[in-house]
Amino acid sequence: MEDTNKDDRLAVYEIGYLVAGSVAEEKVSEEAEKVKGIITNAGSSIIVDEAPHLENLAYTMRVKMVSGSYEKYDKAYFGWVKFEVSSSIVESIKKSVELMPTILRMILLSTTKENTYLGKRASQIADAAAPKRTVDAAPIVVAGVGALPDNTKDAAPATIEEMDKSIDDMVKEVK
Amino acid sequence: MKKQCYFSQHNIKFIDYKDTEILRKFLNPHGRVLSRKRTGIAAKYQRQLAVAVKRARFMGLLPYVAK
Repeated sequence: MEDTNKDDRLAVYEIGYLVAGSVAEEKVSEEAEKVKGIITNAGSSIIVDEAPHLENLAYTMRVKMVSGSYEKYDKAYFGWVKFEVSSSIVESIKKSVELMPTILRMILLSTTKENTYLGKRASQIADAAAPKRTVDAAPIVVAGVGALPDNTKDAAPATIEEMDKSIDDMVKEVK
Repeated sequence: MKKQCYFSQHNIKFIDYKDTEILRKFLNPHGRVLSRKRTGIAAKYQRQLAVAVKRARFMGLLPYVAK
């Protein structure tokens, strides 16, 4: 009895899927609706979902066709759905999504009801926490000369003509 | 000085495979996951990070090998 109760326990799952890049952009939303239809028809409730959007894949994916040849994809539409369903049904949902001809690849994972996806917040966090490249403020010390005093920084010539003049003055002083 | 855990600092409790911008921060130029010694994150999050990176790789969001 306990085993059957465990099987029928409600749990939160997420399906991430890739719709083949060869599908026209207008028809991608239909594919997303089909995936959601499979999930809702199985008696589950959708918590959150994101519509598929075109994504450049990190590597080329190959799919074997019925003819035996391979089709290659560099781009695909990535979408995901988070839903709550009893654990005994989830396997059948997975199989039916996998069998969809336009679905390139899919992943099923058990997750929590809380929002785990940061989305736009992720880029803000990543930007804020990026290591800052700071220029070293220490004065450059030339061997044998020593560090220049701070007031010489302001007095440094700005243009090439001024620099030439100052060099000439220095040469005269040495003579 | 001891590093503070990146995920604890930003109050991130679950590492999602879809947050590739964050995951990329913990990969080296070849696409391999950095060691805990380098990331400085808690063991709990290092395990979560490894799983998230593997999921993202499977879905083509991150590379298995980068040149």
